[in-house]
Amino acid sequence: MRQICLLLLIVTGCTASSERERTIQDDMGRTVSLPSRIDRIVPLAPSITELLFASGAGSKVVGVSAYDDFPTEVDALPEYSVLPMDFEAIVALDVDMAFASEQVNNPKNADTFAAVGIPVYFVAVNTLEDITRAIRDLGDLLGTSEAAQGRAMQLEDSLAQLAALTANLPEKPEVLFLIETATLYAFGQGSYIHHMIDLAGGTSITRTQSTRFPVLTDEFVLSENPDVIVGSFGVEFEMSELLSYHPTWDILSAVVSEQIHGFDSDYYLRPGPRLVEGAWQLAGVLHPDAMTGP
Amino acid sequence: MNRWTVGLLALALVSVIFSVSIGREVSFPEALSVLRYHAVFGYGTIPDPIADRIVWQLRLPRALLALIVGGGLGIIGAAMQTLVRNPLAEPYILGISSGATAGASLFYLGFLPPLISKALTMPIAAFAGGLCAILIVYSVAGSRGHLSVARLLLAGVAVASLMGALASFITLSSPDPDKLRSVLFWLLGSLHLATWNVLIWPAIAVSIGLAVLLALARPLDGMLTGDESAHSLGVPVESVKRILIVLASLVTGSIVAASGAIGFVGLIVPHAVRSFTGVTHRKVLPASFIVGAIFLLWADLAARALLPGAQLPVGIVTALCGVPFFLILLRRNRQGFG
Repeated sequence: MRQICLLLLIVTGCTASSERERTIQDDMGRTVSLPSRIDRIVPLAPSITELLFASGAGSKVVGVSAYDDFPTEVDALPEYSVLPMDFEAIVALDVDMAFASEQVNNPKNADTFAAVGIPVYFVAVNTLEDITRAIRDLGDLLGTSEAAQGRAMQLEDSLAQLAALTANLPEKPEVLFLIETATLYAFGQGSYIHHMIDLAGGTSITRTQSTRFPVLTDEFVLSENPDVIVGSFGVEFEMSELLSYHPTWDILSAVVSEQIHGFDSDYYLRPGPRLVEGAWQLAGVLHPDAMTGP
Repeated sequence: MNRWTVGLLALALVSVIFSVSIGREVSFPEALSVLRYHAVFGYGTIPDPIADRIVWQLRLPRALLALIVGGGLGIIGAAMQTLVRNPLAEPYILGISSGATAGASLFYLGFLPPLISKALTMPIAAFAGGLCAILIVYSVAGSRGHLSVARLLLAGVAVASLMGALASFITLSSPDPDKLRSVLFWLLGSLHLATWNVLIWPAIAVSIGLAVLLALARPLDGMLTGDESAHSLGVPVESVKRILIVLASLVTGSIVAASGAIGFVGLIVPHAVRSFTGVTHRKVLPASFIVGAIFLLWADLAARALLPGAQLPVGIVTALCGVPFFLILLRRNRQGFG
C-alpha cells in the first residue's frame, strides 16, 4: 500500500506530504483529509449537486451523475454513472475531491476513491434544518461561505414565512404522502417529509411508521382514511391511475372530495434545497385560500 | 376422511376466521359481523363501509389466496419429488418461477413493444414467461417418447439460471428505477395483490391439480419404486410424467403469476407431511394441501403482524419460520427422507 502511495506521489509530482494536512469530519463522522487546493469537485448524487450549487460552489463542479438535471448548468457537464460507481470516469476528470450522499452512496466506495487519492466527503440530509446546515458546511469547506450563507438564509426565511402562514389555520388535514402509485412506498419515522407536511399545514399519517421506507397496505390507508393524498407521481398524474391499482379506495375521503395530487418527484425525493419549494407546493393544495399572499 | 383430515380442515377454517379478524382498526366482533352479513346474504346490520372494504375485499381474498397458493405449492411439491425421485425437488425446479419473473419484469419495466404490453397484464406476462421456460426444459428433456429425469432436472436448473440472468439484466438496465422496487417485492413472493378477481385462476388451476393428482395417487405410489418396476406394475410411466409436468406448469404458473415465487413451502411441506403420514400419495397429497395452506396463511399473518400497517413479503417469513422447523424435523426423523 505504501509503495502504491509513493508511486502515486512520484507519478503525479504531488507535494502534499510536505504540507500540514487539513482534516475535517463529514456528516457520517468520518475524518476526511482535505487536499491543499479544492478546485475540481464532483457530486455523487443529484441532491448533492443541488446542495453544491446552492452553496455557491457550482463553478467548481466538473461533472455530474447521469441522473442529474438541475440546475440547468449541469446539462453542459460530462456525465458518469454512480449506480454502479464508474470510478474510471471520475478519475479521468482529474478531480480534487468528491461529495457523496449518505442516503444514496455506499461508504465502501470511499475506500476505492481513497486508493486513487480522491477524498470523499459524505453529506447527510435527514431534516429540513440539515439542508441549510449542509449548504453552510459546504460553503465553508469550499471557500464560498458568503454565497452559502446568503442562500441558506433565503431558504430559512422562506420556510419561516410558510410556517407563519400555516401556524394559525383552524384545521390540519390528515395527509398521506406516497412515493409511487402501484406499490405503496411511503416515508416512515424520522423523515423530513413529515416536517414539510407540517409546515404546509397538514399532518402526515405515516410519521409513526417504524421503518424508514415502509410499504403500506391498502388496509392501513383505508383505516386511516386520509383527507388528502399527495405523491411524487409526476405532474401528469390522474386520480384514476391510483384507483386502478387500489380499487377499494373509492370510499376514502380524499377520493370522494378529489383531494389527490401528483407532484414532480424532484421536489420531494431529492433531499436538497428544492424541498423548500416542495413544501410551498404542498401548502398550495392543502390550503389554497391561505396561500393567496404576495 | 379420517380424524386427522377433519381436524386439519377445522383448523384451516378457524385460521381463516382468525386471519380476517386480526389487525388494527377493525375489531373482532366488527369483522365477524361483516362476514356474517356477506355469508348469510345481508343478514344483520349493514356494516361500516370501511370495515367492509377491509374485511371482505382485502383480508378475505388475501386469506383465501394464501390457502390456495400454500395448498397448490404443497401438492405440486409432493408430485415433483415423486416425479424426479429426489428429496430436493420443489415446484420451481422446472424453471417456471424464474421464467415467470423474467416475463413479469419484461412487461413491468416496459421492455415489450407497446402493442404486446397493451394486451397483457402482469399475471399474464408472468404466466407466459413460465410457460416459455417449461417448454424449453421439456423440449430438451424429452426425446423419442422417453422423458429423462436427469435431463429434466439439469435443463430446469440451466433454464432457471438463464431466466434469472435475463430478469436481473432487465431490472438493472431499467430506465425506471422506481419500478424496480415493485418488481423486487413481487420477486420475493407476496400476497398483497390479492383481490377476488386475482383468486379465480389459481383457484381453478389448483382444484384441477388436486383432483388429477388424487386420481393418480396409485400410479404415483408405483413411480416411487423407479421407472422400470413401476412399468412392470402396469403404470404408464411416460404418460404419468407428462401429465405431472403439464399440471406443474399450470398450477405453479398461475400461482406464481398471482403471488410471485414464494419459497420453501413446496419443498418442506411434503417432507414434513410424510414424516407423519408415510409415503402413500392417497394420504400425502391431501395432507400436503391442507398443511401447505395453513402454513402459508399463518406465515402471512406473521408477515402482517411483524410490520403493522406496512408490508413484508411473505416469502421472507416462510423461509425464516419454515426452515428452522424443517431442520428440526429433519434431525428427528433420520429415516424416511429418501
